[in-house]
Amino acid sequence: MSASAATIVSECPHAIWRADQMGSCRNPVISTSHPALDRELPNGGWPASSLIELLLQQPGIGEMRLLRPALATIARQRRIALVQPPHLPQIAAWSSWGLAPAHLLWIKTARSADALWSAEQILRNGSCGALLFWQTHVRSESLRRLHLAAQESDIVFWMIRPLSSAQDSSPAPLRLALRSAHAGVAIDIVKRRGPRRDDALYLRLDDKAAAPFNTTSLNHAPVDRRAPAVTASRNVPAALV
Amino acid sequence: MHLPLLPLETFRPRWCELGMHVVIEREQVLAMTPQADDGGVRIGMRRGGVSAIAPDATMHDRDAVKEQAALNGIAMSLLQYTPEVALAEDNANLLLDVTASLRVFGGRLALCRRVRTSVDAMGFTAQIGMAPTAQGAWLLACRRGNRSLARARRVIRMDSLTRRLDALPFTLLPAAGPYRDWLDGIGCRTLGDLRKLPRAGLQRRCGKDVLDALDRAYGDAPELFNWIEAPQTFSAKLELPDRIEHAEAVLFAARRLILQMVGWLTVQQLAVSRMVLFLEHERGRTAIEPTPVEIALAEPAWHEAHLIRLLKERLGRIELSGPVIAIRLEAVDLSAMMPPTESLFPEPGGTPADYHRLLELLTARLGADSVLAPAAEADHRPEISNQWRPAASIERFAPVMEMGPTRRPFWLLEKPLALLVREHRPFYGSPLQLINGPERIECGWWDDAFTARDYFIAQGNESACYWVYRQRVGDEIRWFLHGLFA
Repeated sequence: MSASAATIVSECPHAIWRADQMGSCRNPVISTSHPALDRELPNGGWPASSLIELLLQQPGIGEMRLLRPALATIARQRRIALVQPPHLPQIAAWSSWGLAPAHLLWIKTARSADALWSAEQILRNGSCGALLFWQTHVRSESLRRLHLAAQESDIVFWMIRPLSSAQDSSPAPLRLALRSAHAGVAIDIVKRRGPRRDDALYLRLDDKAAAPFNTTSLNHAPVDRRAPAVTASRNVPAALV
Repeated sequence: MHLPLLPLETFRPRWCELGMHVVIEREQVLAMTPQADDGGVRIGMRRGGVSAIAPDATMHDRDAVKEQAALNGIAMSLLQYTPEVALAEDNANLLLDVTASLRVFGGRLALCRRVRTSVDAMGFTAQIGMAPTAQGAWLLACRRGNRSLARARRVIRMDSLTRRLDALPFTLLPAAGPYRDWLDGIGCRTLGDLRKLPRAGLQRRCGKDVLDALDRAYGDAPELFNWIEAPQTFSAKLELPDRIEHAEAVLFAARRLILQMVGWLTVQQLAVSRMVLFLEHERGRTAIEPTPVEIALAEPAWHEAHLIRLLKERLGRIELSGPVIAIRLEAVDLSAMMPPTESLFPEPGGTPADYHRLLELLTARLGADSVLAPAAEADHRPEISNQWRPAASIERFAPVMEMGPTRRPFWLLEKPLALLVREHRPFYGSPLQLINGPERIECGWWDDAFTARDYFIAQGNESACYWVYRQRVGDEIRWFLHGLFA
């Protein structure tokens, strides 16, 4: 690195991103309340005004509990819209989390075009604080359009898609694949602004089930996974080049 | 404002598809479409000549009643810019006093642009003149020419108005019409020439009207107008130029009525909370009832863009039972216009009005049953307590029944799914292990849906958690899946 380049780097450290560093964005973020996951995300949380893709093995593996702390933060002030959820959302579960049901909005749509339209309208309107959008098949143009709409808003926008779509390209800057794991979820970071991470991140979701009523039946439960591995770059560290 | 093509555009508004159309008055061509012009039709041609030159052209007789109605409609829609709108003595002209509106709409040019957009949207061509005197503005507006003259039609200062008016031909003045040949004969061409003639002589030969009009135009005499008064109720009807078979195509015509309604609402200081658009069908062998398209708003509104967007989504869902020949718009429920209260620091997430607008828009396209908000019932049976109602109709939220320390899954299955039983254990993908329970829910003896179920939290091999229940059916015990802990 020449001397002039070094001065530029020292003058504006934010303008340059090295491949072994975690990226940063200007968007505000909402903490996930899981320190291990926060460490793996650029700026340490769910970014607002951007498309976040969650790729699920199947619905019901713990995705809502993963989002619960973030949703709780948002629902204190603003509404949360659910577009085309896979099952009926249960009000009692929501209020047992200590959140006001008045802040939920459920959009049912018959056609996928309607669902995309509704999601875009919600993003453009900006009166909701978070949008959760379930969609199985979605074209890349639609994703780009939604991402653009999200960038103009200040909404935290999660799009929940099946795990099989991890193969397809997507304009989303953050893509996480969720798999079910014992008493928690295993998260593969498919794409992020930062170094690549190959091994899955295991998160224990503590409230997965209430205290077991029969402890003996859990004797042959699998042991907890090891702690998350430290972030490592696949590239040679920049300092050695 | 001068509407040069009013006789034609009464029959063929600008949003119509093109075609050869000719308007005829006293057996002579008065106006025609550009296509007819290309076909060789000229102003002043006789009816027989038109049918010989352009046999495809459709001929309409000039309809003064319709023109007047159209002019009233435009005047009504322009009430949103100023409450002082008057019809000029000569037809196809409107006078607007915008002295008090300039600041609200951001200056002269911005106001001109908005007025022109509104008139365009209604399907008419407008020439707008602006001057310190109404008669002067009207004379400037009547000046023939294309768009490049738009700047020449606007003056602010009195002396520049005098200069511009002096250069105009006197034939623009309707009062001078009968004396045209005589004035031509004495070498008088422009308004400036006319003013130079001795006043006493001019009054003796031409009467008072010419001098009065001149004085008003140059600001030497005061002007009096009969401002339009808006009616107490709003109901406007529009006959369509063609039969329309697609509901979406009605939108262009409906836009004109909405603009009229917006003008009316503004001047009455009202906001509409429910309006009905009637689509009148062609009378076949049997008369068909008009199709009503009702639009109810969560929050009273008077904004054109919002109303048109709602109508567009609503019309997109309608199947027409027959071709539409006329539409009628009625404002049913009205309330006083409440200007939004502006807070010093804008809240994140916009105002409640924004949220209502979103709900209305979603409801207009998806239907009220698809935009839902929680309305929990006090009941222990999850399928009954978990009620969702149309979000637009919910006024206040009932408190949810306290569940205590029990846990509920986030997803509830629409219909409980019967589970297989293998080795005395419920089976769903893999054998389920019960990790919490039972929780007995037994109620409903007072209605038909009596339930007695033992709920468990169960875990499969892949460690997802399920909410299952055990129920006795006859002698047999059966297992059902009712929810997923997401």
